[in-house]
Amino acid sequence: MVPLHFSHLQSLLLFALVISLAFGTLGRRKPIERVKYAAWSFAMFVLVGIALGWLMYPFSR
Amino acid sequence: MFEENPANLAAGERNEEAMPAAAAGTATPRDEGISSQPSEPATPVTGGGEAEPSAARAVAVAMAGWLVPGLGHALLKMWGRALAIFLTVGFLVYLGAGMRGHVFEPGGEDAFARLGYVADAGTGSFYFVARALEISGSDVSHADGDYGTRFLATAGVLNLLAALHAYEAARGRKA
Repeated sequence: MVPLHFSHLQSLLLFALVISLAFGTLGRRKPIERVKYAAWSFAMFVLVGIALGWLMYPFSR
Repeated sequence: MFEENPANLAAGERNEEAMPAAAAGTATPRDEGISSQPSEPATPVTGGGEAEPSAARAVAVAMAGWLVPGLGHALLKMWGRALAIFLTVGFLVYLGAGMRGHVFEPGGEDAFARLGYVADAGTGSFYFVARALEISGSDVSHADGDYGTRFLATAGVLNLLAALHAYEAARGRKA
């Protein structure tokens, strides 16, 4: 298969999107609640990921 | 879009409409046509004595969900969730293999390798799909491969979570 190449940020966004959709579908029953929960999960994944990245930045060099 | 019928979730709930008349002994003539089963499970959900059949069924549903992602929910007629699980796990496996993530094999030399195998094996039959897709092997010397390894492990853990969810739904618990 064709190798896939993503940057760190692209990988983070892709991961957050797919997992958030799954969480929303599994964790809630009503469509509107699913959308809200998926959006909340996505935002948290991305924000926490970026925050952790910046927290680790001083130790990377 | 993602509609399922919660009334069908619990084992044995499917006969709820037909049961009240039979249970009360007031079977209609139409019911009598199938009255060769006079004691259709009377209390599979609301308590009663027969817990083992539904437990065995729930375990079978969970095993099916583990082997083929989404199949457990499909057996419970939760079509939206079944499709979401199948697509999510499949997409993660595809991405993980495409990014040349490492697919762990049984009998790893350290705890991390064994734990990685457990996570990868969580995808059930998709574990073999991942191995088949990775014809040129893994490459974790780049960030892509490292992320791919995590994607594959996440697919497995997510599928195990979904199988557990299917088990709970089959037992009639809130899911």
